[in-house]
Amino acid sequence: PPQGFPGAGPAPPGGPYPGGPYGGGPPPGPYGQPPPGGPYGPPPPGGNAPPGVDPEAFSWFQTVDADHSGFISVKELKQALVNNNWSSFNDETCLLMINMFDKTRSGRIDVYGFSALLRFIQQWKSLFQQYDRDQSGSISFSELQQAFSQMGYNLSPQFSQLLLARYAQRSPNPSIQLDRFIHICMQLQSLTDAFREKDTALVGNVRLSYEDFLTMVVTRML
Amino acid sequence: YGGAPGGPAFPGQAQDPLYGYFAAVGGQDGQIDADELQRCLTQSGIAGAYKPFNLETCRLMISMLDRDMSGTLGFNEFKELWFVVNGWKQHFVTFDSDGSGTVDRQELEKALINMGFRLSPQAVTAITKRYSTHGKITFDDYIACCVKLRALTECFRRRDTTQQGFVNFQYDDFIQCVMSI
Repeated sequence: PPQGFPGAGPAPPGGPYPGGPYGGGPPPGPYGQPPPGGPYGPPPPGGNAPPGVDPEAFSWFQTVDADHSGFISVKELKQALVNNNWSSFNDETCLLMINMFDKTRSGRIDVYGFSALLRFIQQWKSLFQQYDRDQSGSISFSELQQAFSQMGYNLSPQFSQLLLARYAQRSPNPSIQLDRFIHICMQLQSLTDAFREKDTALVGNVRLSYEDFLTMVVTRML
Repeated sequence: YGGAPGGPAFPGQAQDPLYGYFAAVGGQDGQIDADELQRCLTQSGIAGAYKPFNLETCRLMISMLDRDMSGTLGFNEFKELWFVVNGWKQHFVTFDSDGSGTVDRQELEKALINMGFRLSPQAVTAITKRYSTHGKITFDDYIACCVKLRALTECFRRRDTTQQGFVNFQYDDFIQCVMSI
């Protein structure tokens, strides 16, 4: 199983493994503890993975699809995705992801959507790890600022401050988890695209009516 | 009227029933965060027969009134919130004609228009899509929707210095304004 991916399901006995979230002991992969009988476990009921779907993603899909409906809902997805501090992915991020990968427009994803979603998360996870310079498992104010800068955004420190006040736990060193990081970056991308669409002269400034403003934001942020 | 930090800050505050709920969950600093707000609102019974608020909605409520951007509310902000939410609740009750605890798309649209929000058809579609489960919108989701719209409206209004219904947004101000909600 891939190393370092946020674990899923209950924490391993004895608490978090040594060596921090990205290394050390045998971290559970995204697919939980390796099932007995090798990396892919016993053949899942109902046959093998559909073509183009990773066998592990398929077996994980079947575990997460608790009601065996063939689809994963926001609620089921929430059970499957966990941050480095073992908290479940928040509702908003799960909703955003379902919307992104839901080809059926039913508010749920099938095995193909789920498989693509896992790859998507893995990519974000790598980025997250990159920006988490001190390998604390979460992203601090300075790490967030640097992340935005490296992604090409020119945003004020006040903005990062604001995000931390809004999304981090109250603590002397507020920081954000993977789910929020993904959510923030995706919204930032989407809103920037929306702004750029209106800013045809590329001056960094747009004139918006109240109705345009609401429409723009509501269709991109929700 | 002084006393320990976090105690009543002005005359009459201690007698205010809302202060009771606030003080019961608030810490020494006289501020409450999203978790504490959730408990506070649940205990105050503001949701009535409806299911009370999830954490994300509470977080939204805080950001709506959190003027010092601390991620927490003081008692006065809490009080303001309480009255605003009560107003929205009354509205919801009006539209929840069958008392099911949910409203449908048309009822939501009517409620939003009633509250004075001018929304394009695409905006209404996006909102109802986001906030409905099987075509129904729960009280909690309705409140979340109202909070977002109100916060966005405030954000716009504050920048509409000529009161013409138009704002010139700089990119980073736009992003900050919108993503702080």
